[in-house]
Amino acid sequence: MHERALGLADALASGARGTSGRVQPRAEVDSAMERYAAGDDAAFATVYDVLAPRLYGYLLRQTKDRSRAEDLLQQTMLHIHRARIRFIPGAEVTPWAFAIARRLFLDGLRRGKREAYADEVDPDSGASDEPPADDVVQAHELALRIDRALAGLPESQRAAFRLIKQEGLSVAEAAQVLGTTVAAVKLRAHRAYEALRGAIGEPVMGAAEGSKP
Amino acid sequence: MNSPPVTPPDDLRSRVFDAIARDPVPTRTVGSRRRLAVVMRAAAVVALVWGAAMIHGPAARGRPVAYVIELDGLWLALAVVATWAGVARGRSMLGRPASWKVLVAGLTPVALLATWLPVALEWPQTLHDSSGPRAHLVCVLMTFAFAAGPLVAFARLRRASDPVSPRLTGAALGAAAGAWGAGAHALLCGYTSPVHIVLGHVLPVALLAALGVVIGDRVVALRAENVTSGVRC
Repeated sequence: MHERALGLADALASGARGTSGRVQPRAEVDSAMERYAAGDDAAFATVYDVLAPRLYGYLLRQTKDRSRAEDLLQQTMLHIHRARIRFIPGAEVTPWAFAIARRLFLDGLRRGKREAYADEVDPDSGASDEPPADDVVQAHELALRIDRALAGLPESQRAAFRLIKQEGLSVAEAAQVLGTTVAAVKLRAHRAYEALRGAIGEPVMGAAEGSKP
Repeated sequence: MNSPPVTPPDDLRSRVFDAIARDPVPTRTVGSRRRLAVVMRAAAVVALVWGAAMIHGPAARGRPVAYVIELDGLWLALAVVATWAGVARGRSMLGRPASWKVLVAGLTPVALLATWLPVALEWPQTLHDSSGPRAHLVCVLMTFAFAAGPLVAFARLRRASDPVSPRLTGAALGAAAGAWGAGAHALLCGYTSPVHIVLGHVLPVALLAALGVVIGDRVVALRAENVTSGVRC
């Protein structure tokens, strides 16, 4: 939890540029899906191993519920598997996978399965290397404030901010996931960033600065 | 500042791979062959219908045969373009951009009208006829009837495949199907006045695009329950 809080605060401090470090092996997953579509059954293990942790983290942050996140991740991976027959050579897999996960999540919400956003189930609570208690309390409090501030944003701004700042997608990839233009995503992320900074105020900035090496 | 990835439980991995093993999916090569076969069959049907209509000249119903050939050739060409633009996904698994789909849905009826106009001006005698509301209504229904087959085929092809903007995809599918319906019905309809063309032939294409929004929402959208029933082609 504290890492997430400090990371978010760091995002606010660094601005909504959407270019922060993305080191995910996208070429690897694109290549693996390409091989899987071409008939290499074993390549799906690579697709799963690269995508599942990112999608699971995303879905946990969305649902705040482990069993629901697992269910959605399973459905997302099955959908990717079933698209093997119509996979387009050279197509990007990561934004497509996030778009599937997001759609399934939103579809679940529409069906009245919404998990209360305010439910504070910490997706990172399984971490074992707990830092000192003061840091934990401060980070926890900060995370709660950030979550509340995020919850108060329009869905479009929240989604753009999360995809870029939390999930590490590029602005172009986030635009694909959200079905809009790059300019619109930049604007939404910037507005979200400004709103969060305004809502959280100086203490966050101080915490962010304190988190930098 | 990306949040760290969260490792999913091992048993989830097992569940996913078990489910995949129980539900094998053919490779892309197989899918390509199936799609090619469908396209070839559709092209053969279009060629047969077109050829039969041309052989049986009376289908012109008082119109100059050259008018029919020129107008219908243009409208069928438009239908091919609308199908490419509205049904194919381009280079992305997420399909074409939303603005592209809006253009396809909006411009297809306009393009039908725009291609009819020069043909009508070439044969000005066709600008007058005795069509009335009943004739307009019949042609709307006939265009819907001719478009039904392509619309069902397009919807099946894109079933449960769009996680981003399924309604717009549906609108584009509806417009493309409408273009095929308009092209097919233009072979048979003897009325050629501007009012009839707009109300009887172009309006139903716009209506089909609107119907496509509903179809997109119900059929094309990726949903939790239809993940297990996506079309295999």
